[in-house]
Amino acid sequence: MKGWFKILLLALALLVFGAMRLPYEAALSKSLRDAGLFPTDLGIGTRDKIGQTSSAVALGGLRTLVATFLNLRAFTYFTEQRWNDVEETYNTIVDLAPRTRYYWDTGSWHMAYNAASYYINDSKLPPLRRREAWRMSIHKGRAFLERGIRNNPDDWSLLASLGFLLSDSNKYPAFRDANASFAAAAEAYQKSADTGKAPGYVQRSAFYALARVEGREAEALALARKLYGEGPINRTPTMKALLFVLEAWENPKMDLKTRAIEIYGSPENAYEALSVHWSRVRDGFPVHGVSAVIPLLEEQLSIPKDKSVLNKPLPPPAGPDEWFR
Amino acid sequence: MSNAVHISPKGSHIMRIWVIAAHTFTQLVRMKVFYFLAVFAVIAIASNFFDLPQHEGPEAVGANVLRSIKSWSLGAMTLFSVVLSVVATALLLPKDAEDRTLYTILAKPVPRFDYLAGKLLGVLLLVFVSLALMDGLMTAVLHVRTNMVVAQQVEMATAMGWPADAVASLRAETLASGPNASLQGAVFAVFLRASIMASLALLISTFSSSTLFTTIVSFLIYFIGHFQADARNIYLQAGEAGEGLFARIASLVLSMVMPDFQLFNVIDAVIEGQALPMLSLAKLTLVGMYYAVFFTFASWFIFADKEF
Repeated sequence: MKGWFKILLLALALLVFGAMRLPYEAALSKSLRDAGLFPTDLGIGTRDKIGQTSSAVALGGLRTLVATFLNLRAFTYFTEQRWNDVEETYNTIVDLAPRTRYYWDTGSWHMAYNAASYYINDSKLPPLRRREAWRMSIHKGRAFLERGIRNNPDDWSLLASLGFLLSDSNKYPAFRDANASFAAAAEAYQKSADTGKAPGYVQRSAFYALARVEGREAEALALARKLYGEGPINRTPTMKALLFVLEAWENPKMDLKTRAIEIYGSPENAYEALSVHWSRVRDGFPVHGVSAVIPLLEEQLSIPKDKSVLNKPLPPPAGPDEWFR
Repeated sequence: MSNAVHISPKGSHIMRIWVIAAHTFTQLVRMKVFYFLAVFAVIAIASNFFDLPQHEGPEAVGANVLRSIKSWSLGAMTLFSVVLSVVATALLLPKDAEDRTLYTILAKPVPRFDYLAGKLLGVLLLVFVSLALMDGLMTAVLHVRTNMVVAQQVEMATAMGWPADAVASLRAETLASGPNASLQGAVFAVFLRASIMASLALLISTFSSSTLFTTIVSFLIYFIGHFQADARNIYLQAGEAGEGLFARIASLVLSMVMPDFQLFNVIDAVIEGQALPMLSLAKLTLVGMYYAVFFTFASWFIFADKEF
């Protein structure tokens, strides 16, 4: 058989063979994508950012390896406080490995916590610009986490991280409406708890956030009673204080002192715990009935008025208004 | 040591193929290819040290380093196996011709198909053994590190007052990130991709005049193969985006001629913690075998009446 004829036959066989496998491969590709075993296509923007060599490696089936190297690079940027580079690198990393929780969490942490804290102390910028940079960093961190959640809707940890960010006393002042921020935090924590994989503290955190939402006290009280009834594991100092506070909101005429002692076991415990709760002004927790019950407990415990916790100065405010003077 | 191959002309095809495969394997081992295992060991151990600071609770302690071990190890396995399968296969025919072994074998009544299949099987055996050794090392490192991470996480969770059921759930979740069946499936997917590359390099080497040409063309096809799925999608979705006739024909030809290597990128999903179902792996195996068998027969078709 002549050489050119063999080549022609081989080319034909290649095409026939290709036509035969095409539908099978298309179906397999689709089924793997549907099963979440295929990452999304690598965008041209991402290919540009990672450079030709890394693009070739990533397209050669080593996307997670490129993501690992970029994560190391991002850590260097973090130590050098190059926040824009950190952000850009993490955006590329999550394009390469969108299902890795760690990258979403760490990228968001760098933006909302590390970069934001850096701008609080950055002496090179005037206060107004520092404040804006701080606020933007926190918003970027939130947006990054929310994108991570859209990519990994069943991941309890990312939802819990979002709840933590939105209810953090150092972060929620960055959002225009604190009430909306607490409501969003409660929703994120609740979704995390609803996955069934989250540890118990996540459900309690959902309640702590809900308790701070003005207008949803009844809902918070119902949740507090449910969690409190589930046993000692949920009876943390914050839970007890909020249960008392919300019951006082529901029924301001109740016997506050008796109920406080009932919840805490003794007047000493009740006084100590509610005094701490009274001082936690920066957390934004409600304090219904606390200022009324403390004098009653002080009277029973013979604490002189000049030593009353109500007469002590509250912790000084510490928020953006103070940081960016 | 003698390089002579003793093949009985009276034996069965399988026996002849096996003898050639065993000889090829020995020939390649003598080229000291296993030295790369030392490099792999360094990579597997070095990946343990990239435990970057984390900010979360016990669930995040060490999670990154476990993924790092898998990512580095499977990445190294992919590179090693593809390079090994291409270069080793590309070397075989020219080396046999240079050593005159080829003439000795073909002078005997050994079917040329048996010769090619034996050569390919020898390379695949080498790739398989290499991957098995690397897999063993990765699994051992990952097993040790997973136990260390679990101990750290449990200690931290207990100190934070996590209840027993939450600690047990955390433990189970972390153990699932350690060595498991999906990870072994991913290693097998690496082997399948390397097998396709070896059979493809064999086909190219039957009509190529040099090792370098075979190697370069094989790697080009390897990278183009990762775009095959894009070409197929352009063809299948043609019309929706208003592609012209030429674009449709070009994408069809490309998707029919090139192998689809993107299918084997399930490895990334496994590194990210996804489970690889047995059914998907079986389907991938079918794809791998389909290519390997076709390319081997195509190689024989070209090689059958080649003059030396």
